[in-house]
Amino acid sequence: MNRALGLAGLLVGLGGCVIGIGVLLNGLRRGRPHLLKLGLAYSLVVLFGAVLSTFAMQRALITRDFSVEFVFDHGSSTTPLLFNIATMWSALEGSILLWGLILAGYIATVAWRFRGRLEDPLVAWALVTMFAVGVFFFGLMLTAANPFRGVVPPPGYDGPGPNPLLQNHILMAVHPPMLYLGYVGFTVPFAFAVAALVTGRVGEGWLVETRRWTLVAWGFLTAGIVLGAWWSYEVLGWGGYWKWDPVENASFLPWLTGTAYLHSVMVQERRGMLRVWNLSLLCATFALTILGTFLTRSGVVESVHAFSSGTVGPILLGFFAVVVAVSVGLIGWRGDQLRSPGRIDSPVSREGAFLANNVLFAAFAFVVLLGTVFPLIIEALNGERLSVGVPFFSRMTMPIGFALLTLMAVAPVLPWRKGTGEVLRDRLWWPAWGGVACLVLALVVGATGPTVLLAFGLAGFAAGSAIRQLALAARRQGWRGFVGRANGGMVVHLGTILVAVAFAASTSYIRQAEVTLAPGASSTVAGHEVTYLGSRTVERDNRVEVISQVRVDGGRVYEPRLNRYRMGGMTIGTPSVRVGPTEDVYLSVSSSPDPVTGEVTIRVIVQPLVVWLWVGGIVMVVGTVLSLFPGRRRDPTAPTSAGVTSGGARRGTEGGDRQGAEAVG
Amino acid sequence: MSGRAPAPRHPWRQRWWAWMAMGLVVLGVLLASIDTTPSRGVSDERAFALEIQLKCLQCVGESVAASQAPLAVQFREEIDSQMRQGRTDDEILAFFAQRYGQEVLLTPPSSGLGSLIWIVPVVGLAAAVVALVALFSRWRREVGARADDADRELVAEELARRGTAGDPDSNDVRGEGDRRG
Repeated sequence: MNRALGLAGLLVGLGGCVIGIGVLLNGLRRGRPHLLKLGLAYSLVVLFGAVLSTFAMQRALITRDFSVEFVFDHGSSTTPLLFNIATMWSALEGSILLWGLILAGYIATVAWRFRGRLEDPLVAWALVTMFAVGVFFFGLMLTAANPFRGVVPPPGYDGPGPNPLLQNHILMAVHPPMLYLGYVGFTVPFAFAVAALVTGRVGEGWLVETRRWTLVAWGFLTAGIVLGAWWSYEVLGWGGYWKWDPVENASFLPWLTGTAYLHSVMVQERRGMLRVWNLSLLCATFALTILGTFLTRSGVVESVHAFSSGTVGPILLGFFAVVVAVSVGLIGWRGDQLRSPGRIDSPVSREGAFLANNVLFAAFAFVVLLGTVFPLIIEALNGERLSVGVPFFSRMTMPIGFALLTLMAVAPVLPWRKGTGEVLRDRLWWPAWGGVACLVLALVVGATGPTVLLAFGLAGFAAGSAIRQLALAARRQGWRGFVGRANGGMVVHLGTILVAVAFAASTSYIRQAEVTLAPGASSTVAGHEVTYLGSRTVERDNRVEVISQVRVDGGRVYEPRLNRYRMGGMTIGTPSVRVGPTEDVYLSVSSSPDPVTGEVTIRVIVQPLVVWLWVGGIVMVVGTVLSLFPGRRRDPTAPTSAGVTSGGARRGTEGGDRQGAEAVG
Repeated sequence: MSGRAPAPRHPWRQRWWAWMAMGLVVLGVLLASIDTTPSRGVSDERAFALEIQLKCLQCVGESVAASQAPLAVQFREEIDSQMRQGRTDDEILAFFAQRYGQEVLLTPPSSGLGSLIWIVPVVGLAAAVVALVALFSRWRREVGARADDADRELVAEELARRGTAGDPDSNDVRGEGDRRG
């Protein structure tokens, strides 16, 4: 029953996509608007199919229908309801189904949003592109990654449940959907980019249409990445949240190119420049989401996230190649129309800063990609096995991060077209002192190491710049000074700065020790007294929990646990963290109590400022939401760039009161 | 930069000594923050710094510092004992590389084919910067269309049509309506 429903849903989804493409292409070729208007109907058919399949999968999981192979492999009668629902995305086939569902959701939303303009060839081609992506994912589910394969369960069978690591924390229910909403969301701007290239309407119209879609996708991706880091911190028991694991990198790559795009797109909207570059960034972002799925779902790289599977890898790689080939082909074909009408007048200008930003983000993405695939390349070339880990990524990305922070400080105060040293000195005065104040403060509270301090100083500088922009905008426009792309963007900058500071501080000043304590004994780690009180055992449906009680600094008692899962016999720790505004004390039990002495081994990790990573992530998402609201509207036909009078006197006299308005798109 | 007619609002911000003072404060703070504790000797911090550079060969994508696997525990003991023998960081890492192969080091090698991972991004970034500089200098040489009087007239007409000509804020060519005071 569930299998039949699920397969029917997949077939409906695939059929909707295929027929939708056929009808729309026919309508486009013959110029029949009534055919193009059917795009909405087909998108709803696809959505219906995806919802039906998801419903069937959830029903199978909740009713423990072990005749579905996916439930047979990953379901269990003892998994709690929430994790039972989340089981869908704890393994390959179900996660592709989630992808299909979200894709169908986006297709239907786009069709609905543009329902008044369905006969516009741009919208029709965008829908065709999204249907084509849909054909791929529904086709994948009907062939290599079928979530509804059947199996005959032996009588009395109970499944093993999802990987214990994935049913240990509530964030597992939220992090993958967020991430996928981000990944899949980039399909929309990609589809419009393809549509713009096909129709030859490569001006700025399609950019404006998809601006919010890109922001939404970016916001979800950001949230997904931060939630993933948080999950890793709360679950994995080693006190870390980011270790440049291939899968983390796979999610970070589209984030980097997407971020670059969000910046450089403003140059195109404003000055009509960088068209090829923007199209390439969008196509690269979408292609990288596919490449990331390939890396994580094919088992070619070692990772805790990797789901190994036979034929899915080559198929995904093939699709990646198709996406790249189509993008490159289309951009090459339209090359002559993509020439920029304008020129960048001076490197010291907003455009120049965005260009520098893009070079840095591209370099960042390149370093991350290279570090991820390098071991594979070397092994293929000469059979040598080597590892690329945290030391490489830290060393290579740190200078890029510093340069980006500097740019974050300078760029927002730069005028378009041409800035002067005078303007910069005037506008950067207070932000720069903000940076100095951060430096001094860090030194006073005892931070050491010039590199980390430099990071704090640059962060203060950048924060000063963002706050200055927000303050000016608020003074001029009241509460509207916090909405709109430019102002929301400054809020996002503040969030990013928080993340950067927390990252630098927690990785540089981490201190950890392993202590073995008998009940009642204490030990001091990095100035914190840790007292082990004792342990108790709790039996649960699917696991046995050994809960240790640990008092920190004579205050509250924390309870790090060890969970032994009945199925598979895996033992997974659940750390307990004393979260504080300045410092986290992270407790993780590494062994069960010794049967004779009652001693346990506890790993104590003390890291400063970790909580600001999550706060920073929240601020980034809030900033993204603020950017979605319309800011100050500009007359769309108004001239968008001012002439530069000789000597730049115009700028010099106006002080700092203009640029908030300048950046509003 | 000839006609900088009105004086800047905050003249001291334009003074070189003001920025110099700021630079000196930064320099002083950075110098004061240099950590002088020696990197030899036995300490948890030093052990941890070494552990995060070694891969746990029994685990998936974890460093020796993060892992509870038996081999990782053994590595940690080895690091402790080598530190006590007074070996330097490089010697300790070389010891592991010799015994377990290059794969155990999470830092890619600085020689041989593997060193490309360090070289390629740097060369690439340098090439990008050179290309940009070349582009800018080309753009500067071939100045595009210049506005002539006819263009200026067109703009003036359009602005007049919009009713902004003669406005005290006629500097606001963008039409952003950014009126101050």
